[in-house]
Amino acid sequence: MLKRHFREFSVLGVLLSVLALLGVFAPDFFAPQPLLSRLTAAAPKLVVACGIAVVMISRQIDISVGSLFAVCSVVCGLVAAAKLPLPLAVASAVAVGAIGGALNGVLVAGLRLPSIVVTLATMVTLREGLRLARQGVFIDLPDGLQWIGLPMIGGQYLVCGIAITVLAAMAAVMRHLAIGRAVYAVGSDAEAARLAGIRPRLITFGVFVLMGALTGLAAVMNVVQSPQVDPNTGRMLELEAIAAAVVGGVAVSGGRGNLGGVLVGFLLLACITPALTYIGVKPYWDKAIQGAVILLAVVADGLRNRKNGR
Amino acid sequence: MFRFFALFVCLGLVLLTGCSKSGPDTGAAPSGGTPAGKRLTIAFMPKSKGNGYFVSCKQGADQAAKDLGAELIFDGPVSPDPAKQNEIIENWITLGVDVIAVACENKDGISTALKRAKDKGIKIVTFDSDAEPAARDFFVNQATPEGIGNALMDEAARLCGGTGEFAIITASLTAQNMIEWQKFIEARRMAKHPGMKMVALRPCDDLKDKAQAEATTLLGAYPDLKLLMNICSPAVPGAAEAVKQAGKAGKVKVIGLGLPNENRRYLKDGTTDTVILWKTVDLGYLTVQAAAALAKGELKAGATSFKGGKLGEFRIVGDNILLGEPFKFTKENIDQFDF
Amino acid sequence: MLLRHETVLLAVLVAELIFFGVAGRNFGTADNIANIVRHSVEIGLLALVMMPVVLAGGIDLSVGSTLGLCAVLFGKLWRDGGLPWEAAAVATLGIGATAGGVNALLITALRLPPLIVTLGTYSLFRGLAEAITRGTDAFTRFPPSFLFLGTGRIAGIPAQAWIFAFVAAAMWLLVHRTTFGRSWRAIGFAPEGARYAGLPVGRRLAFAHVLAGIVAALAAITYTARFGTAKADAGTGYELAAITAVVLGGTSIFGGVGSVHGTLLGVAAIAVLGNGLSRVPATMSNAGELSGMLTGVLLVLALAGGAVPQWFADRRSRKGQTPVPP
Repeated sequence: MLKRHFREFSVLGVLLSVLALLGVFAPDFFAPQPLLSRLTAAAPKLVVACGIAVVMISRQIDISVGSLFAVCSVVCGLVAAAKLPLPLAVASAVAVGAIGGALNGVLVAGLRLPSIVVTLATMVTLREGLRLARQGVFIDLPDGLQWIGLPMIGGQYLVCGIAITVLAAMAAVMRHLAIGRAVYAVGSDAEAARLAGIRPRLITFGVFVLMGALTGLAAVMNVVQSPQVDPNTGRMLELEAIAAAVVGGVAVSGGRGNLGGVLVGFLLLACITPALTYIGVKPYWDKAIQGAVILLAVVADGLRNRKNGR
Repeated sequence: MFRFFALFVCLGLVLLTGCSKSGPDTGAAPSGGTPAGKRLTIAFMPKSKGNGYFVSCKQGADQAAKDLGAELIFDGPVSPDPAKQNEIIENWITLGVDVIAVACENKDGISTALKRAKDKGIKIVTFDSDAEPAARDFFVNQATPEGIGNALMDEAARLCGGTGEFAIITASLTAQNMIEWQKFIEARRMAKHPGMKMVALRPCDDLKDKAQAEATTLLGAYPDLKLLMNICSPAVPGAAEAVKQAGKAGKVKVIGLGLPNENRRYLKDGTTDTVILWKTVDLGYLTVQAAAALAKGELKAGATSFKGGKLGEFRIVGDNILLGEPFKFTKENIDQFDF
Repeated sequence: MLLRHETVLLAVLVAELIFFGVAGRNFGTADNIANIVRHSVEIGLLALVMMPVVLAGGIDLSVGSTLGLCAVLFGKLWRDGGLPWEAAAVATLGIGATAGGVNALLITALRLPPLIVTLGTYSLFRGLAEAITRGTDAFTRFPPSFLFLGTGRIAGIPAQAWIFAFVAAAMWLLVHRTTFGRSWRAIGFAPEGARYAGLPVGRRLAFAHVLAGIVAALAAITYTARFGTAKADAGTGYELAAITAVVLGGTSIFGGVGSVHGTLLGVAAIAVLGNGLSRVPATMSNAGELSGMLTGVLLVLALAGGAVPQWFADRRSRKGQTPVPP
């Protein structure tokens, strides 16, 4: 168990030591209310990171999620602002996300184009198209949309609950269901998977559609947290999500990683920036420390590679 | 063989075109004023595109260009690359515009490009944030960095009763004009409000959602915080939402530089106390009017007043056209404004 | 048989030049061509050294951050260290080499994936630049002899274009005429195969990354000379611009295929598109957004141009059921 999940446990160790240090030096960090608010604010990123992890396990990558997230947020906001029913706003955001994902999927699985290039192209095209269309003007939402009409605490539990449900459901699917194992198979060796009766291109297409739909869901989870939509939202989201996945042990080369690790990697990266504020570190150290944490998390793995002479 | 050919062609294509025509600069902009009958071309640059603040400036600019029958080019950086404004200015020089109006992101950096434009006979007006005085003809002054810094700090001290902790949320640590505002905020604090204590400065990448998250963290990390000062426009509603959700509305004051429409609901429910800004639509309108007058030779150095189209007379002090003092939007007056 | 990628791209570039020459205002003037060249030198330099990294099957997301770090250290050495700018520039090249060396060490000695390592150093190097300047410090008022590098002309051609041409020629020879280039290609094509064939895979990859660091430092110098200011945000986003140019230029993101002249064409096609759109009356107010969108479309079309015929071929032979990795 320890040997097989060395990476996940080493990152978990780092996370626990960071939390322990915070417990000593800044116990306020764990005060329940700001903690719940912070988790709620970060929950949409966890959903996106789950999607990215599955994409990476299938040996692809998606760097367009930040732009797609913004597009979905704006769509959700516009539908809601047009006084259409709430479920329609949610559904349209998820649908637009799925369509965006399907576009990537067609280009990657259908035309066999490299996903990093395809999603680089959709990233800039969606972001600039959105800027052209909306010019960065905020969208005011009707009152019923925030927290889906629930009281705030209820809404926060709901958003966090959705994130945990998505994580748990995907972890179960990836671990126990044939379709999940098929994603691992395609990511490890697509040709072998094909010979074993799996249809790799269909799986790849499906993974991108899932990624898009999750991005749409995450956008809704973010939109409900405030009464306005900022069309510039989601900038750099792709890098945060990819960093969470790789720190959590998902291999870029495909076929390796699990969603438990993604949760650990996500929590580690999500708590660093607030932790620095709590212990009063100057903000100009933020990026350097973020980078150092990413590198440290993977260096342990590297040292083991070297020892084993992989 | 093909490789040599392609290499030769692609290098040669660019360089040869450059060489062959680099005798007399035929494509340079026309110098001085515009010949009668030719439509005036005014280039108008925001600090960045996709920003609500500059969209409202553009509304006024468009209106002025329509009133004047001039051609208006509105372009600016879409990426966070600080050298991008220079590139656009340099492209406008060779495009042959008559006058450039620009809100400067980086005072030192952009002044070199503006001086080059001035040397080619293009008139320069700055608005929103100034360049070096030698690099432009007029500055449409809605507020100096010092004026902004003082107004924010004085307002903060007034709301806190002169003592207490406050934190600043900025766009990014490297944004040049926000660095300048912070300098004046700090200078004012030292001089006039020593009881106020700045405990933290956090960047929000010019994103509302990130500002909300940063404000939530600040409220938890500094329980004695009495005020959040937001010096980029998306941060004001973001911080207000965080304060409201933390149940600290009224206890923790929120002020900042922002747009009325983005802050209306928070001003009304009392979460946000004061939003400081100027009439951005008027700023865009006046800037384009001044730019046109300058290009036509109607506005000259040494003038003491300027008639800005439908807006009437404006005072000129030195080479600053004064739009008027920064405006304080509060619960009482917010409904008179829509931008 | 299809046309070569580079030929198609050359046709695209020529079409752009003709279109903007006709539709754009003052597009073909000497000053404007000089502008296009001047403004694309930094991204061009980064693309030139990104190309071997990608050719060898890797990627380097840290080049833009390396540029930023080198720019502020250059300023620091010159202003606070009291070095003449020439000496500061040489030291900066060494700093760039060190930054590249960090990537190289982590990638080759620890066998970590380049994407992750350079994602980490992307953040780390930018963060160090911010920490050194506390985010706020800016270096300006450089001597005119230095600013000449970024704003002057030698024989009618922008000064930094000479540097760029030199690096381009050197990279072309290195990639297409030496064993280094051949081994990068081999490593990108089949890393294990290259190892068995006796190539020093680690050292060759390390060289590519160190080279990327050195040239990123060079780009930091031309950037500072052009802009006149060195701050921690110099070169933000340049890594993606460089990768876009490399991939548009026909270098396979999986490695093994690519050319330096293709990369040059890629850089030129993007630069001309951006400049041209800001000169056509219909698009001049939306040039920034449209050039981003069209670059994305062009990128997909350039790749699909090769893939669509392949797709039909696949359907006939029922081969290639497997999607390619990222």
